[in-house]
Amino acid sequence: MKRQLKLMLSTALLLQVAITGVALADEAKPLAGQHLSVLLPPWGTLPKDMTDSFTAKTGIILDTQTLGWDDIHTKIVTSTVANTAPGDATEVDWSWVGQFGASKWYQPLDGLVAADAIADTPTAKIFTYDGKLLAVPYNNDFRVLIYNKTQLTKAGISAAPKTPDELLKAAKAIKNAKIATYPIGLPLSATEGTSTTWYLLTKAFGGDLFDKDFKPLFVDPKSGGYKALSFEIQALKDGLIDPAMTGLKDVEVQELFKSGKISFDIAGWAGNLAVYADASKSQVANDVAAALMPSTTGATRTIGLPEAIGIPTASTNSKTAAAFINWMLEPETEIGSFKSLGNLPPRLSVLKQLNSEGALKDGDVLLAQAAAVEPLFAQGTPGWYPEFSSAVATAINQAAKGQLTVDQAVQQIAEAAKTASQE
Amino acid sequence: MSPRSLKSIGGKVGTGFAITVLLIWSLGPIYWSVVTSLTSPTDLISSTPRFWPSHVTFEHYARLFGSTSLSQGNEVQSVWPQFSAALINSLITSAVATLLTVGIAAFSAYAFVRMRFPGRDLLFVLVVATLAIPAYTVMIPLYRLMISLKLVDTYLGVSLIYVSAFLPLALWLMRSVYQAMPLSLEEAAWLDGASKLYTLVRIVMPLAAPGLIAAAIITFLNAWGQFLIPLVFSPTLATKPLTVLIPEFVGRNYVDYGLINAAGIVAIIPPVLVVLLLNRFLVSGLMAGATK
Amino acid sequence: MLSFIGPRRRHGEVGLGLALVIPVVVIMGGLVLFPLLSTIVDSFYRINPMRPGTPFTGLANYAELMKDAAVQRSWVNTVYYVILAVVLETAGGLGVALLLNKLRHGRRWLLAAVVLPWCLPPVVNAVVWLWIYNPSYGLLNGMLQASGLTSGSVVFFNDPKLALLLVTIVHVWRMMPLTAVILLAALQSIPEELYQAAKLDGAGALKSFRLITLPLIASGLAIALSQSTVFAFNLFDEAWILAGSSLDTRTVMIQVYMLAFQNMKFSLGMALSLLAMLASLLVSLVYVLKVYRETRYD
Repeated sequence: MKRQLKLMLSTALLLQVAITGVALADEAKPLAGQHLSVLLPPWGTLPKDMTDSFTAKTGIILDTQTLGWDDIHTKIVTSTVANTAPGDATEVDWSWVGQFGASKWYQPLDGLVAADAIADTPTAKIFTYDGKLLAVPYNNDFRVLIYNKTQLTKAGISAAPKTPDELLKAAKAIKNAKIATYPIGLPLSATEGTSTTWYLLTKAFGGDLFDKDFKPLFVDPKSGGYKALSFEIQALKDGLIDPAMTGLKDVEVQELFKSGKISFDIAGWAGNLAVYADASKSQVANDVAAALMPSTTGATRTIGLPEAIGIPTASTNSKTAAAFINWMLEPETEIGSFKSLGNLPPRLSVLKQLNSEGALKDGDVLLAQAAAVEPLFAQGTPGWYPEFSSAVATAINQAAKGQLTVDQAVQQIAEAAKTASQE
Repeated sequence: MSPRSLKSIGGKVGTGFAITVLLIWSLGPIYWSVVTSLTSPTDLISSTPRFWPSHVTFEHYARLFGSTSLSQGNEVQSVWPQFSAALINSLITSAVATLLTVGIAAFSAYAFVRMRFPGRDLLFVLVVATLAIPAYTVMIPLYRLMISLKLVDTYLGVSLIYVSAFLPLALWLMRSVYQAMPLSLEEAAWLDGASKLYTLVRIVMPLAAPGLIAAAIITFLNAWGQFLIPLVFSPTLATKPLTVLIPEFVGRNYVDYGLINAAGIVAIIPPVLVVLLLNRFLVSGLMAGATK
Repeated sequence: MLSFIGPRRRHGEVGLGLALVIPVVVIMGGLVLFPLLSTIVDSFYRINPMRPGTPFTGLANYAELMKDAAVQRSWVNTVYYVILAVVLETAGGLGVALLLNKLRHGRRWLLAAVVLPWCLPPVVNAVVWLWIYNPSYGLLNGMLQASGLTSGSVVFFNDPKLALLLVTIVHVWRMMPLTAVILLAALQSIPEELYQAAKLDGAGALKSFRLITLPLIASGLAIALSQSTVFAFNLFDEAWILAGSSLDTRTVMIQVYMLAFQNMKFSLGMALSLLAMLASLLVSLVYVLKVYRETRYD
């Protein structure tokens, strides 16, 4: 069945490529022979047959640089401060948008990329700074509740929790039934994954991080952010969260989920469902399921943390780079990127198409959650985000180790937000 | 049994014990890494640590060397072309840096010890003091410089930076080796009319072989382990070394422990071969033979 | 000693000496000192790409570093790492070097085994130890439990002091071979006759170690101490991979990275890296002077 589907898809893909190929062959290839250097992480580095088809279509020769995700930022900063382009087109993570916007390190893409494709990509607005589009998403990571359905059923719970309270109740039932020692999985180490989980839970508790003037909204004990942190610390104290989480990154929490040691991957990555459901990579392939993010307000909320491609201002090759970005936006490229690298397509129409073909695990949930995606900062990611976010991770990590109370931790975070944003 | 032989047996037992402890300390974690590289992904996250994998699998190595690789359940291109290119890059840059560093250090350290020229001691102190400069401190001006010299992403550029980073240590080591050598041999050669350079190359350097080899081992291994410098100065596979390639196996949503460990084990082999080859000279006792 | 070398010869010596050090001057001057000066100048300006202009701010960057609590914490941690790492590496490295020097057979192979940890790429090294320290399926917990020392699994990194120690162990594991190789080279240059003479004079092993070995390897020891100090001041990978930006284990270099590259407060980070350089220079200077002064024989 799966095989047949693959075959059908690839024929469809081939047909589409053939049609567009024929259409383009008539036009001149104005950019033929140009070299384009592209700097992307491993999961943005497309297989050779796909990039070959790009070269065949446009005549542009790709020089791909692959670097680990953490290292790309270092590389971009080093070369840009030294007044050279790190590449003609590079990775732009959503969290860097404020920095790259304020420093004017990336070119506005409005007018350079296909407007209809951008309109079809809801997460593109996360990459606008001062009303200008700085980068175009090539994957679509947003958060969704991923849980081990078999373990919930064993504990006598038939439906996925819809509120944080139900989640706690389910976790307690699982713990009492000795199905999992620590049912709730979320990172508490001093790393970015810890911060993003708290942001997500802040939304789940009906809160927001800041008001429109970037005044912290999480200091009040009745606020969503405060409740979210109390939720994490209380669950830790109640033995629902493994104390070892203080040392684990998000990816390690995911390994625990794959081994069946935890029942909930609370801040699950939508794109990860396919990995969890793959028996060669996961021991819970038959048990995993996704559900909408629980919420205290009744309406599910989630954040989008996509990655995109932008063109550095120092690049001298922006037309060629724009051609590459437009090609990345084409439905067949997005499908190919999903098939080969697991990048969930950023274009809503493509996502729907994949779902209707049955290629998405729990596709209906993913589509419903995708519709509820909001940016973490409604007014755009500020330049001081990375500094703020590492202060958040550090404070939560200290609170989880018992070095700070929830109250002290949120005060410390608010203080960090103040110093970071004042500069 | 005489107390003397008892003592020697005691000494042997002590030595044997020390060797055992040393081997466990050095090799234990490496052994653990080998075990990890031979364990299947699902067994890796089983609840009890095993000292030996219950089912030995070569799948991680197959993914390094095979014609195709599995990644996140998908068949993707083999990583071997990248891996082998990076292995060769690591070898070339480390070897070039070692040859340059040891070559320069062998001659100039001698000048610092046996020749008098203005500013000698100040220059030496300045050069050695640069040991303390963190890589981050000079990275951006250095990048600007290398761009203008068109040396970014070239073997020469990366090797030169390694030389500038490891020369102070090699220089200092060689200076202390030359200082420890008796002047009498050199004086005899000079009185025979041999030039200073000839004396250095034919008489002093063979005696200083253990020091030169130690400097070579230190430089080679320091260069082999570099990460930050090649990360910035070796952007593409034309010169990218293993240390920069391997972290790419850490995906944002998947840590490929098996592949990382397999890659690490393979990455150990070339430097160990180099060390085995070189350290025959490090401990050959040339010094003792010459002074007898 | 120089009396028999005539003035003419001396003149040629100056030329040859300068010729031999020219490569050193060119490489170190161009690739290290020049960029260093540029960074020193930059540290007196405010360089932050997110803010327009680069005004001269004098010592403002340095003043800001003095006030910052996270920076202070990273200094405390770094001092701890340096002391612990230098002591462990020197003691261990000296022991290993003495052992290797004493062995007659299999020395090559043992040395190769000793340098293995240093051959492992740093990322792999940190990942291996991450795996060993892992609270759920790590080797350390497995061994502690198997030997009955602990009952449940221990989360080592929840204890700040233990976390510092564990990070240091990873660093020492990787860097100790360097100290061992330097000291072995120094030991190799001690003529065997000296020990034989001492033996004839009735000196025991300890006495000949103190009277012969230690003075003669003093310069090697100074080199080894300085390099381990410098490497400990630059500790980054081990702490970053094992515990991220956690304040309990954060080093000065991690703080530099976060300031300059993560937060883009460029000149602030550079100022901190210069302070770290000064600190490691001063500490190294202390040993070098002490070691050389106490062992002056010539």
